[in-house]
Amino acid sequence: MNKNKYLKIFGVTEAQMKQLVGEGLKGGGSWCDLYFENTLTCDLLLRDGSVSSGAANESYGCGIRVLQNGKTAYAYSESTAWRELLRAARAVCGIASSGSNIPPIAAHKADTKSGGQYYPIKTDWREKSAAEFVSALQKLDNAIRSKDSRVQKVIAILSYSMSDIMMYNSLGELTCDTKPMGSLAASVIFMQNGKSETKSVSRSFRMGAEMIGDALIEELADMAVEGLDASFEARRPKGGEMPVVMAAGASGILLHEAMGHAFEADFNRKGQSIFADKMGKRVAKRGINIIDDATIPGNRGALNYDDEGVTGQKTYMVEDGVLKSYLHDRISAEHFGVAPTGNGRRESFRYNPIPRMRCTYMESGSDGTLQDLIGSVRKGIFVDQFANGQVKIGEGDFSFYVKSGYTIVNGRLDMPVKDINIIGNGPKALADITAVAGDLKIDDSTWTCGKEQSVSVSCGIPSVLVKKLTVGGI
Amino acid sequence: MFKEEKTLCHTALQTALKVGAQKARINFVKSSMDLVNTLDGEVDKLTRCLDSSMNIILFVDGKFGGFSTNKLSENALESFILRAVDTVRMLAPDDARDLPARERQIQGSLNGRELGLYDNYYEKICADERRDLALNAAVWPSKGKAWKLISEEGEYSDSLDFSYVIDSGGLEALHCETRFSYGVEITIEDFKGRKYSGYWWDSSPFLSELKSAGIGGKALEMAIGQIGAKSIKSGKYNMVVDREVSSKLFSPILAALNGYSIQQGNSFLMDAVGKKVFSEGLTVMDCPHIKGQNGSRLFDSEGVATREHAIIEKGVVKEFFLNSYTANKLGLSPTQEDAIRPKLMPYAPDSKKTLNTLGRDDLMHLCGKGILVNYFNGGNSNTATGDFSYGIEGFYFEDGKPVKPVSGMLVTGNFLTLWLDLLAVAADARPCREKLIPSLAFKDVDFSG
Repeated sequence: MNKNKYLKIFGVTEAQMKQLVGEGLKGGGSWCDLYFENTLTCDLLLRDGSVSSGAANESYGCGIRVLQNGKTAYAYSESTAWRELLRAARAVCGIASSGSNIPPIAAHKADTKSGGQYYPIKTDWREKSAAEFVSALQKLDNAIRSKDSRVQKVIAILSYSMSDIMMYNSLGELTCDTKPMGSLAASVIFMQNGKSETKSVSRSFRMGAEMIGDALIEELADMAVEGLDASFEARRPKGGEMPVVMAAGASGILLHEAMGHAFEADFNRKGQSIFADKMGKRVAKRGINIIDDATIPGNRGALNYDDEGVTGQKTYMVEDGVLKSYLHDRISAEHFGVAPTGNGRRESFRYNPIPRMRCTYMESGSDGTLQDLIGSVRKGIFVDQFANGQVKIGEGDFSFYVKSGYTIVNGRLDMPVKDINIIGNGPKALADITAVAGDLKIDDSTWTCGKEQSVSVSCGIPSVLVKKLTVGGI
Repeated sequence: MFKEEKTLCHTALQTALKVGAQKARINFVKSSMDLVNTLDGEVDKLTRCLDSSMNIILFVDGKFGGFSTNKLSENALESFILRAVDTVRMLAPDDARDLPARERQIQGSLNGRELGLYDNYYEKICADERRDLALNAAVWPSKGKAWKLISEEGEYSDSLDFSYVIDSGGLEALHCETRFSYGVEITIEDFKGRKYSGYWWDSSPFLSELKSAGIGGKALEMAIGQIGAKSIKSGKYNMVVDREVSSKLFSPILAALNGYSIQQGNSFLMDAVGKKVFSEGLTVMDCPHIKGQNGSRLFDSEGVATREHAIIEKGVVKEFFLNSYTANKLGLSPTQEDAIRPKLMPYAPDSKKTLNTLGRDDLMHLCGKGILVNYFNGGNSNTATGDFSYGIEGFYFEDGKPVKPVSGMLVTGNFLTLWLDLLAVAADARPCREKLIPSLAFKDVDFSG
């Protein structure tokens, strides 16, 4: 960590940061941290065959947080001029002191020393000009059009960002990181016999500009036209409760919505989560392990450090079917008397950190193959592509939207289906996972979680059979 | 907004023109917001937000780009604009990009307060008052015979927003508004250990008109109402959709009328202008000039003057939403970039009540029996075909009265057929919302449970 580089970007010294923290704590708080951010985000858009639109956004500033026995005061400055930083520190000090006078909390037991190297940057996006990426978008457009004559319109978007982050806290810990992110996406309109179909595909990595290449373009183009015949044939199934076989990869949305959010410790600290009283108890069948992981190199959810300066790590939430850990930020970790798990994340310096997922997945099981799972279902549904999901934390009721799949009749795929919502209840769905195949796949699409703030995440799962979920239909 | 920030915008505009742009637009936004979050009757979080950012739209040699920054020193801005112009030069030309004709834009000098959305009291409110406002409507601690309160989360916020836009064609316009909001989310647990949640909120440009009293109680009432909810038999039911969530079914129509969707062929309303594609009961007016109401605007992001007009009249689509770009791409006349403050007009051919007094309960009486939807749990729609599928919660009702709560069900259909089967539109849209979508009733909708 070359701390001088970051101190220079933000125009402050360690002594000044120490002074700012001191100002923040003058109102009686027991913890203060600073979060400096300098982010450049760029977008290039191809529409109607040419890259005729570009955008860039600079976002720069510093957030200051004071904690008082789990209560938070937060303010930020869009300037790092000393006068402005001092003003923000005095603002949090003022709002902290307007609360009740609560004794200081103990120092947090967090690993902040051994940050990982989960996204070494070979080519900094900021060193490239927009012109160097124009050809990649045009190649993607051409590749998609060359694969199917039914292509009518293609919108292709390259988005990338680079964030310089510097964090300092009242323990005197200084942490610095530079986070890249790149996403390449295409939205395609197809036409066949007067009927339209849409398909959106994407790939996203916490990587530098080296991620752009012919292999990625070819992969996206293949994904864009995959299953197109079935899409035009697809119909709505008869709705109701039925077994659901979920394909490896993007079906990890099941874990994100049905379980992951309910394992976020802020919901459990407040008693709201349906899993609030399940710690140490069996929540799934033996052999099932569910993980939230910041350590997969280049993954969209990878973090060297979280946004509280805690080392990125791999957290087993469910181990051999038993609930082992929630996902903690510093506040919830203090509440539960455990070490933070590196899940304190924020959208930008404008937000205080809260517990969030990173890459959430289930380890491979030993119940055979996808074909074995489909073969075991007499009447049900198979799903493989998804758009979005949602959960009600207290009730545990979750849903996710299926873009494509098939009905299953007597152990075989039958009629293609699309545009259906599936609904279930988290603990019940987890307990109802009756078979897990050995084909774990992490999905690298551009997943973004929107709990209060938007953060990049990813998910994965092996093929699984859920005994019973409710499927939308007619 | 302050004189020095306006000067900075004009300097940025001149810089853009000086370094190579033939035309440019500057949108400057400045806002401040204070939030007080409460948990179980105590203050849990206090947040102060102060934001300024400049959005710079550049037209360079027939090419286009949009850039924004919050580094607002003159030196930093000049350097940013130079790099931005260089970036635009690398893109492909697009002759559909242009500023709107000056005569379509708002005229005259605006002080930002023409729509009466600014509360002078905003300048007087203090930290203690914010805290009292956040805690006043709390119901913590409460307990019922069949439930216990697990948590009560409240959020009070007040904000001031300025939006200033100038362009190289001579546009200069300012909009400002204050907003005061309060919302409460309640989680309860029944004697079987099952949890239920309820949420209620209000918002107004004026603190004196913020209806915060009883919000916690209303959220609690909604949570209690769901105790024992479960799915019922799949089938076709009449559906009444509560005003709190009815925009979920109307917003996709607005999206399908947007020029970008039309231009890309990604709309289930292609070629719909001038055609009757919905029930004659659907009339939608855009009402952007109502003084003192959330969402009112005199101009859009291009500075184009907004207008009162019909979007859909008796089921006939009157226009697409076309900004300068999408209109040029489609070879059509521009209209307005989006619906600003759409209002669905009441409709109930079988009701004996005055249309302007129709509420949700009246719609349930008209339907007799069916399912009242008061929450959508996820779901989505196909933008090209209009097919949709959503998770729902609510009540099964008979004789116009709720009989039992339902949850874990799905409603599935197609927007074109759904809106042809519109039975009635109430007149109960909440003025605190920017889109005035009231309770709605539809016949024979597919539910799965």
